[in-house]
Amino acid sequence: METSKTNEFRRGMLVFVVLAILTGLEYLIGTNQVPVIFLWLIALIKAGTVIWFFMHVFRVFGSGGDH
Amino acid sequence: MSANSQSNAVDPRTAPGYKLLTNRIGLWLFFISDSFVFCGLLVTRFYLLGGERPHLEQVLGLIVTSVLLISSFFMNRAEVSMAHGDRKGFVTSILVTIGLGIAFLVGVVGFEWQIAPFGPGDGPEGAVFYMMTGMHALHVLTGVIFLIIVLRNGLKGLYSVERHWAVEAAANYWHFVDVVWIFFYPALYLIGTVK
Repeated sequence: METSKTNEFRRGMLVFVVLAILTGLEYLIGTNQVPVIFLWLIALIKAGTVIWFFMHVFRVFGSGGDH
Repeated sequence: MSANSQSNAVDPRTAPGYKLLTNRIGLWLFFISDSFVFCGLLVTRFYLLGGERPHLEQVLGLIVTSVLLISSFFMNRAEVSMAHGDRKGFVTSILVTIGLGIAFLVGVVGFEWQIAPFGPGDGPEGAVFYMMTGMHALHVLTGVIFLIIVLRNGLKGLYSVERHWAVEAAANYWHFVDVVWIFFYPALYLIGTVK
């Protein structure tokens, strides 16, 4: 159980780091004349990451996370 | 099948797993319906301002975005802690999340609203900016209240490894508010030329 908790903490940290990097990239793109499509693309990737790893959308379909 | 075996048959709709699943579906239906409000605001922003954006403090925008992102990380920690019976970790993480939520509100309403060079009635940019950030801030505020209730119940020992649906719901709501800001941040601060 402790290993499972550590793994989940580690995954949360990894997701956070990915989101932080994407946010930094977003800021750089937004403040330097780069096509807007990249900003939308980053926003979609960030939203998808949060929905999948933090909101566990797959649980709605009855798989995992039962308590 | 005899009458006795029929009476002993368990109705699957009363099983805990079924209840949890319907709770989750209900919550996601709420997220979908609430998304229409935020999508409407996003469309309004591009309809009224087009390729221009309000003159806002870029660094402050990045700071409040980072604060909300960090709060999502701690919210995830709080949920994982409760799912593994770590009550101390749950309390600590949820307290940090609440603090960061309040910091986000102070950043947007307390600072950005005060230093913005326009008011809510000063044309389309004022209407768009205050409506979008106001509606989002209202959701952050309700999220903070939700988290305070969950924290209070957690301290009372009302949640366990087996039963903590409210913690999961609060965490999902908090992440939903974060997802909304993921789209609002570039729409308000980064896309378009300064008006």
